Amino acid sequence: MSVEIDHATAVSTLYDVLVVGSGVSGAIVARSLAERGLHVLVVEAGPGEELSLADYDTYLTRFYGAVAKDNNSAYEVNPNAPMPRSPDVRRLQAGHPDSTGYLIQNGPYEMDSTYTRVLGGTTMHWEGKAMRMLPEDFEMRSRFGQGRDWPIGYDDLEPHYRQAERELGVSADVADQTFYGITFPPGYEFPMHGLPPSYLDTIIARDLDGTVIQLEDTACTVSVRPTAQARNGMPNPAYDGGKGYVPVGAVSTHQVDQGDRCQGNINCVPLCPVQAKYNARKTLSIGLRTGRIDILTQTIASRVHVGEDGQISHIDYQAYGSTSSPDHVTGSLRATKYVLAANPVENARLLLASGLPGSSGLVGRNLMDHAYLLTWATLPEIAGTMRGSQCTSGIEDFRSGGFRSRHAAMRVSIHNDGWSWPTGSPYTDLLELVDDGNVYGETLRRRVVDRISRQLMLSFMIELTPEPSNRITVDGRYTDALGNLRPVLSYSLPEYTMDAVSASRRVSRRLFQRLGAEDQTKYDPLDPGFVAHQGEGYVIRGGNHWSGTHIMGSSSRDSVVDDHQRSWDHENLYLVGSGSMPSIGTSNTTLTLAALSFRTADHIASELTTRPSLTVGA
Amino acid sequence: MADDALLARRTDADVQAVFLSLSATLTGYSRFRLLGTGQVEPYLVTTRSAVGDDVFGELLSAFAAVERESADDPAACDRALRALVLSDEKLGPIARNLIKMWFVGTWYELPQEWRDRFAAGEQLATHVVSPASYTEGLLWPTIGANPPGAKGQGFGSWVGPPNIETS
Repeated sequence: MSVEIDHATAVSTLYDVLVVGSGVSGAIVARSLAERGLHVLVVEAGPGEELSLADYDTYLTRFYGAVAKDNNSAYEVNPNAPMPRSPDVRRLQAGHPDSTGYLIQNGPYEMDSTYTRVLGGTTMHWEGKAMRMLPEDFEMRSRFGQGRDWPIGYDDLEPHYRQAERELGVSADVADQTFYGITFPPGYEFPMHGLPPSYLDTIIARDLDGTVIQLEDTACTVSVRPTAQARNGMPNPAYDGGKGYVPVGAVSTHQVDQGDRCQGNINCVPLCPVQAKYNARKTLSIGLRTGRIDILTQTIASRVHVGEDGQISHIDYQAYGSTSSPDHVTGSLRATKYVLAANPVENARLLLASGLPGSSGLVGRNLMDHAYLLTWATLPEIAGTMRGSQCTSGIEDFRSGGFRSRHAAMRVSIHNDGWSWPTGSPYTDLLELVDDGNVYGETLRRRVVDRISRQLMLSFMIELTPEPSNRITVDGRYTDALGNLRPVLSYSLPEYTMDAVSASRRVSRRLFQRLGAEDQTKYDPLDPGFVAHQGEGYVIRGGNHWSGTHIMGSSSRDSVVDDHQRSWDHENLYLVGSGSMPSIGTSNTTLTLAALSFRTADHIASELTTRPSLTVGA
Repeated sequence: MADDALLARRTDADVQAVFLSLSATLTGYSRFRLLGTGQVEPYLVTTRSAVGDDVFGELLSAFAAVERESADDPAACDRALRALVLSDEKLGPIARNLIKMWFVGTWYELPQEWRDRFAAGEQLATHVVSPASYTEGLLWPTIGANPPGAKGQGFGSWVGPPNIETS
């Protein structure tokens, strides 16, 4: 499988499409267009020498050896194309931006969200939840008087959701996923059967199912449901009208015994050790079979140039040979259409660094992410915590209803990995037992079980609406090793979201009461993300669901892209990914941005293949 | 000196045997189980290089004294271990570090107070001894789980209650 070409060849080629970024959206656009006969160049700022198992295993070994096993710990520190890392986030002092990490935190709130700059992008570290948005999420303004409406609706996106579920290899059962307006065509099946819920899920469901919780005027009846996941499970023979589904295995030039079903490594983030979890390299490696995709890694798109006709004329790049040296060469790449798929922060950063804030001035603005409130407790019985994939079930019942005109919606995940996110368990538990508990030997073993195997952690993923003041900017004072402007983040949470944070804490107390679980939740005022609201303090964590920075709309006056993710200002430029989303509801963003990528690929293909000079088809 | 030159007097095999016995007592796992991890040698080397030969020798001598005094009586062993090792200002932090290293594969930098009083040379910073040390951590089998990212128990293994060993 030939992957790399040299820069000289790329520079002298006029591609049909240049895609910046090799994550899920870029990979889908590239594969989709290449399979329709178009010649595509993908540039990736980060490393990823080859699409091989050896390259992948390097990440795994680095993760094993890392003291801090944060969600980017599998990926090397690379000053040439840096990435945000959550351990870099500090408590801010008012008026003092923090430039410790790659992302400049301008406040007032700290945000510990990250993304990954390697071949395959953030799907290398994503957890793999693959959920559709609710139909009502597309109509936030007209139904709830909050946020924005999309120019398209659930029904427009539904066929593309199905494409995305095939591409990502989603394991789920239709009966479990049909709720709050989500519909599927008659007879639809997911590619693979749903992954089995964990023992922990079963204990929670036994005691919580049927609990009624009132949110404003909405009575929510709790039902623990299995979560749709882009992770290999048991193929469903009824998929695709009885054609079935062949799971996509590990990315490798040789046949390897990996990429089969999820083994329960409890390590979806930062890296699935066996490639049961989807990552964008799977899409790229299949796309490469067309022979029409070229990939340049360690190649940073550094500036977008606009010609006199308002079209993008070329994109400058910097190519570096080693992550340990800033030495690099530069050049320019040309294509008929340009697709920025570098993620919402990097897309906005590149445009702003190129002096292209958009005629609406909205590039970089309306930044959204999910606000996460973590609550944790000790169950009265051994629940076998720390086994399975990171989450196998959740509670969908606080996502929908009239209460959304008053406060944001919430979705709850039951975490098989216990308190690891909020407290650093099980390491912190071990240290406390040994250093303060003064236990050793068999007593220590019993206490470890008692302390860890009964852990329950519920994460509340809370909606954030687009606020123009939440934004990415650039500032000449802050540059990276190659002189590129670093992203500066300004971030705060509106009342609409904070009221849902308070509601989430109330809900978690009710749920713990119902479970007889000892509430262990504590929020340290010295932690990044600490926010007081209505007399109570919370620590809000980032969800890594960056979005909104090139927001989609129906007019060039109040949006950056149209419903095909095409720039209003530059006809041959597409900004793809969750940056286009006008709302994020309470779904992890990947499945929706993947669906949007398919829709955009269709549009680009229709634009290009109507050109008489082009040869279409393999 | 009684503690003295344990390292000098004994062979490498003797040293390893005492280290293994100390490790088994501290972790609650049998010597066979510990040997099976392949980590005895790397952990011995790590500990020895972290605290120096003299202090390492004192630790092993103190534990040898615990074993002599308690003569297979578990309650007496427990008392003696607490008296001679765990509450000793020099040896206690090292013993606790050994437990942590066996459970999660990480050598934690010794506490500041220890470093101020007892450190001979440059201190070993907190680090994972090796990628294999991480995957061989005893914490995971203790709770019937696998180290995150390694030794997955297999599709659907998470459906039932955990298999927790008691000895």
